[in-house]
Amino acid sequence: MLKVFPALLPWWVAGPALGLCVAALYGLANRRLGVSGAWLAAVVAPLEGWRGERWRVEFLAAMIGGALAAGMLGSATRLTGYPVLSRIVPAAVLLPVLAAGGLALGYGARCAEGCTSGHGLSGCAAGSPDSLAVTAVFFAVAVAVTFAAHALTGGAL
Amino acid sequence: MNRGTRASTIGVGIAFGFLVTGSGFGNYTIIHQALLLRSWYLFAVFGSAVAVAAAGLALLRHAGTTRYGGLLRLPHGPARRAQVYGAAIFGAGFGLTGTCPGGAVAMVATGGLGGLLVLAGLVSGMWLRGATARPAAGQQAQGNS
Repeated sequence: MLKVFPALLPWWVAGPALGLCVAALYGLANRRLGVSGAWLAAVVAPLEGWRGERWRVEFLAAMIGGALAAGMLGSATRLTGYPVLSRIVPAAVLLPVLAAGGLALGYGARCAEGCTSGHGLSGCAAGSPDSLAVTAVFFAVAVAVTFAAHALTGGAL
Repeated sequence: MNRGTRASTIGVGIAFGFLVTGSGFGNYTIIHQALLLRSWYLFAVFGSAVAVAAAGLALLRHAGTTRYGGLLRLPHGPARRAQVYGAAIFGAGFGLTGTCPGGAVAMVATGGLGGLLVLAGLVSGMWLRGATARPAAGQQAQGNS
C-alpha cells in the first residue's frame, strides 16, 4: 500500500540488526541502550546543573551521526516529516500540536524512566516487568490517540 | 571510562542511528499507518528486534560478564505508578507526533524539520518533569534511559 516501503530496509534486516545493537551495548559495555536518557544527559542535565553521564552524550552524538549518514545515503525515504499533516491541518494548529506532543513525550519519558528504546527494546528484551508494562501502555495509548485523530478528522488522518 | 567501552558506545550509537533511520522510525507516514494498525512493517521491525535482543541477552546472562563493563547488570523491577502514568502521557505524545525520542532524530536527519519542534518539546517536557516533581524524583530520574 505504501510505495515508500521498498525504499526501506526490509524488516528482517532492520529488526534483528537493531536487536543486535541492544545486545552489543550490554555485552560490550554493560549499558542499557536508551535515547531519552541520552537527551536527558546531553541537554536537560546542564540546564538543571548536574553532570549527565558522558557515555550518554557520546551515544547521542554517534546516533545523530548514524542517522545523518542514513539520511544522506538515502536508505530512508524522503517522504518524511509531516507532509500529510501539513496538508490537512493549518500551521497555526499543527505547530502547537507538535510542540505539545513533544512536551508529552519528554514529560512522559522522564516519568516512565525510558522510552521506545530504553523500555521498548532494551527493557523488554531483558524481560523487566516495568518495561513490559510501560511498553504495553504507551503503544495502547498511542494507537487510541491515533484512532481518535483519525475519527476527529473524518478519516483524513 | 576505558577505550573499549567508549569505542563500543560510539560504534553501537552510529549503527543504531543508521538503522532507526533506515527502518522508517523517522517517517510520520509509516508510524501513523502502524498506529492505525494498517501496516505491520514497524511491528515486525520492533518485534524481531526485541526477539533478537532477548536471545542475545539470554546468552549474556549465561556468560554473566561483559567485554569491557564488568559483571552483567540487567534491569529488573516492578512497574511503579509514576512509570505507568508517564507511559500513558508518552503514548499520547507518540500518537500526536507520530514519532518518539529516537524517531525524531531520524526525522530531522531525513529533512523533516517538524522533528526539531518535537525535539524542543521533548527536552522542555523533561525539564518540566524535573521542575515539578519532588526533589527525590529528580534524583531518581538521573538513572533514566
